[in-house]
Amino acid sequence: MAKRPPITNRVRELREAHDGLSQAALAKEIGVTRQTVIAIEQGRYSPSLESAFRISRVFGVGLEDVFGWEGPPRGDAMGEGS
Amino acid sequence: MTFREKLAWVMSIVLVWASLYYLGYVLGQGLGLEAVPPPSVELAFVYVSFVMIGSIVGAAGVALQNTEEANAPADERERIILDKAGKWSGYLVGLFAMLGVLHYWMFQEGNILFHFVVAGLMLSQIAKYVSQVVLFRRGV
Repeated sequence: MAKRPPITNRVRELREAHDGLSQAALAKEIGVTRQTVIAIEQGRYSPSLESAFRISRVFGVGLEDVFGWEGPPRGDAMGEGS
Repeated sequence: MTFREKLAWVMSIVLVWASLYYLGYVLGQGLGLEAVPPPSVELAFVYVSFVMIGSIVGAAGVALQNTEEANAPADERERIILDKAGKWSGYLVGLFAMLGVLHYWMFQEGNILFHFVVAGLMLSQIAKYVSQVVLFRRGV
């Protein structure tokens, strides 16, 4: 299995909250295949910035309402205090 | 399964089949001659014809099942997969060409050089489509 990117997403949750929008319909809206939407939902693929914006616009929310970072906060990663 | 993944499966099967036929023929001839068989134009023609017909029929069959996707350009994830697979395939051709040249430099056996290059081309195409299948399944 490929190493998963440290990016989480709420695509599935938002899709279901959005009148059960289908994966195929979302894929068509953002211009990718249904398999790419499946890969995004399963965390196997991180979409491009353009597709990430398209997804958030479909749901009418901000980018950070859809995608998150599951690694350590920036201060820890950069060696805060050094 | 997307159109491109199905196409990768079809091409993998066609290429493996054609390459096994080619390999079987060359090995059979080599055993009969007890030497490295010379390049055969007829065999190359059979191989190329089989791959061409197999890929046209296979691609047409897959395209008929997924007409909309077949006409659409590859999406961003598919482009990454196609690029990665193409890159690995290129490395394999280069490796076999270099091995062939190295062998020729050491033993001056032109037939082996030919077979190294042909094997490199065949394996690189197989690697290209098989790695596409793997990347489509496993993720990029």
